[in-house]
Amino acid sequence: MPEMLSLSNDPILFVTVMLAKILAVFIVVILIVAYATYAERKIIGRMQTRLGPTMTGPLGLLQPIADGLKLFFKEDIIPAQASKFAFVLAPMMILVPAFITIAVVPFGGNVVVGGYTVPLQIADLNVGILYILAMAGLGVYGIVLAGWASNNKYSLLGGVRSAAQMISYELAAGLSIISVFMLSETLSLRGIVEAQAGGITDWYIFSQPLAFCLFVITSLAEVNRTPFDLPEAETELVSGFCTEYSSMKYALFFMAEYANMVVISAVTATLFLGGPAGPFPGAINLLLKIFFFMFVFIWIRATFPRVKYNQLMYMGWKIFLPLALLNIVITGAVVVF
Amino acid sequence: MAKKDIMTINMGPQHPSTHGVLQLILELDGETVVKATPHIGFLHRGVEKLSENRSYHRALPLTDRLDYLAPMSNNLGYVLAVEKLLGITDLIPERAKVVRVMMAELTRIKSHLVWLATHALDIGAMTVFLYCFREREAIMDMYEKLSGARMTSNYFRVGGLSLDLPEGFEKDVRSFIDAMPGHIETYEGLLTGNKIWQKRTIGVAKIDADAAIDIGLTGPALRASGVDWDLRRDNPYSGYEEYEFQVVTRQNGDTFDRYKARLDEMRESCKIIRQALDKLQPGPILADAPAVCLPPKEKVVNSIEGLIHQFKIITEGFKPEPGEIYQGVEAPKGELGYYLVSDGSANPYRMKIRPPSFVNLQALPQMVEGALLADVIAAIGTLDIVLGEIDR
Amino acid sequence: MIKEFIQGLSITAKHLLPGNSTTVEYPKVKLEASERFRGLHRLVPAHNREKCVACYLCPTVCPAKCITVEAGEDENGVKYPTVYQIDMLRCIFCGYCVEACPVEAIEMTGEYELANYKREDFCFTKERLLK
Repeated sequence: MPEMLSLSNDPILFVTVMLAKILAVFIVVILIVAYATYAERKIIGRMQTRLGPTMTGPLGLLQPIADGLKLFFKEDIIPAQASKFAFVLAPMMILVPAFITIAVVPFGGNVVVGGYTVPLQIADLNVGILYILAMAGLGVYGIVLAGWASNNKYSLLGGVRSAAQMISYELAAGLSIISVFMLSETLSLRGIVEAQAGGITDWYIFSQPLAFCLFVITSLAEVNRTPFDLPEAETELVSGFCTEYSSMKYALFFMAEYANMVVISAVTATLFLGGPAGPFPGAINLLLKIFFFMFVFIWIRATFPRVKYNQLMYMGWKIFLPLALLNIVITGAVVVF
Repeated sequence: MAKKDIMTINMGPQHPSTHGVLQLILELDGETVVKATPHIGFLHRGVEKLSENRSYHRALPLTDRLDYLAPMSNNLGYVLAVEKLLGITDLIPERAKVVRVMMAELTRIKSHLVWLATHALDIGAMTVFLYCFREREAIMDMYEKLSGARMTSNYFRVGGLSLDLPEGFEKDVRSFIDAMPGHIETYEGLLTGNKIWQKRTIGVAKIDADAAIDIGLTGPALRASGVDWDLRRDNPYSGYEEYEFQVVTRQNGDTFDRYKARLDEMRESCKIIRQALDKLQPGPILADAPAVCLPPKEKVVNSIEGLIHQFKIITEGFKPEPGEIYQGVEAPKGELGYYLVSDGSANPYRMKIRPPSFVNLQALPQMVEGALLADVIAAIGTLDIVLGEIDR
Repeated sequence: MIKEFIQGLSITAKHLLPGNSTTVEYPKVKLEASERFRGLHRLVPAHNREKCVACYLCPTVCPAKCITVEAGEDENGVKYPTVYQIDMLRCIFCGYCVEACPVEAIEMTGEYELANYKREDFCFTKERLLK
């Protein structure tokens, strides 16, 4: 294996490759986000005996683009009593963490470029998992800020709900991952993928089924998807934190929600399903796993009612947190003995 | 904190789950409701006053627009009341009575379907919404075939029916009620056993039997609290005494029980419709009361007597003896009552409507006190209110 | 608990299969209105003009007061409506006019696309109703 490409051995090549990787990942994520909205509308439509979009382009395939354009050209309204700076900042605060989390997710093995080894991953942080949790935590600031800055009581309730929800679920999600890196003995996502590389039986979903279930459920709560979509609960809070948003700012919230879904799916696939491992070339495996999780999320949205705020809290603190702790204890016992 | 900070929030009249233009002033402590004050009247059209200025016949289309989700039940209550006022209740032909019962029960299913759809959507289960509307659409198609309109049917007439059943109608109804229990199973499959649905509904917006009676709740909301009271059985009209059906009662009086009660009521309605279909015999559809009923069309076109008859009824109307009556029917939402006062003229002197939703809504503040914001949504949904009826 | 969740998921998944859609793609496909449908009114023509004899029963029975009729006589002394106008913005499509008409001169069609741009366009004069 040739030497690893780094900033010291070939700065120009390194920057070029880096930019190429970032651009590729960004475009793929944006495309998935755009077509996730399309897929969601189609799938839920079919499940509800409807058709979903059909008019824009063949099979309605241009619908996400039409939606984007429409939102782009809409008037941008900032309520007179809103806190302007925070109001403008909030959508960015929620979108950016959603996108940058994907940086630590490996989407393949190593390739050789110009005589150097290049890992198919934007950044192999040795604290990759902590970085993911940190970014997920950062995203909630956007929601809280949006709720507060809108100067709307419904939005405020949405923001408060989301803050409480995020704290309770962040904990359980974090704790459920601990058992994973207890097994892999590394915090780097690349390391975790390599630890699962020995074939399908090495995937942590089989050795850590409880952690997997906990992580998927808490992730649903973290990305505000049904049945945990309390911060936006349109029938209660009239869209909650994004009530007052319009135009491109609303589109940013919308994109962030789907980007979060993509990221959470990618992270789950990496932690529990061996990431890019599988029968096809690297990135395709990862994409298939992402699509699978996205489909499940959409499916769940079509089927389940929404839980109540106090029930959500109850579940977070009294069920998921103890279960996650228990899982750590069991894993610890197994690892030690 | 020494002083509790209460946040007042205006829920409605523009809010997705206040079922129209209900406004609730909610006083919230965090997410807990301290007090809820319903404000109504945004959809007031003055139906009662309007009907004082038009003949009995011309007031009928107004009743379509009370509870617009169950127009035939409103029509039924009104025509029964006018017939009682005229004293022609016994003259109504059997066929008209049976069709009235059949359509009233189809209307009950239709109304309950919208209730389930919106209630489930409010709680977040959006797929049930579209499944229910699919079945409701089938009923609307039948409405259209029968009366010519999908919502404001205006089909019953004082003395009978406006038109006879169209060809193939009975077959449509039969195939619908054959399929309906299966559809109800589907809704139940999505909701009843679902832990989240149970958590959202069991014990929520509870009201016990005594409180329910004190407020004057009627319909499924009353029966779910354990009070066995159904006008169809206890004060029968339009020949309901000839049908066999169960009055569905439940004990707990919470949202889940009201949900189950209405679903079971839909099943019972299917049974009543089946019996009505079996009873259906060819025969006249209008009472033999020439002072009240329009003559058949061919008579009007072909004979001078018929023509004069038609002119007389339409220009003069019919004039009940002075007096007053009350007629209640078991509408899908509860007891719908018409109180009519006649001064001997062709127009009602006074028409007072007792809308079930209006009375049922009074239970809301008491139901949601101390509950969470999300329970308010469930409570509004479970009461099954229609603002067209509340504001009149 | 899990069983019920799976049951719910299977119901939605079952509907995902093709052939379950009930959508009618409206502007492309239009539903046929039933025979009794109470849509736009139509004055029935007879020989060279409308069948209507301007008897005023329809404006009398109309609960919305949306029908304007003015009677006139032609050279043979036969009554006919010089003006017959229905204000579709007031009409509630109850069908009483059809029921009241003693000569079957007015009927309701299956036409339900009544949207328009101008207020005046909702006033259906005799000529438009005869079409």
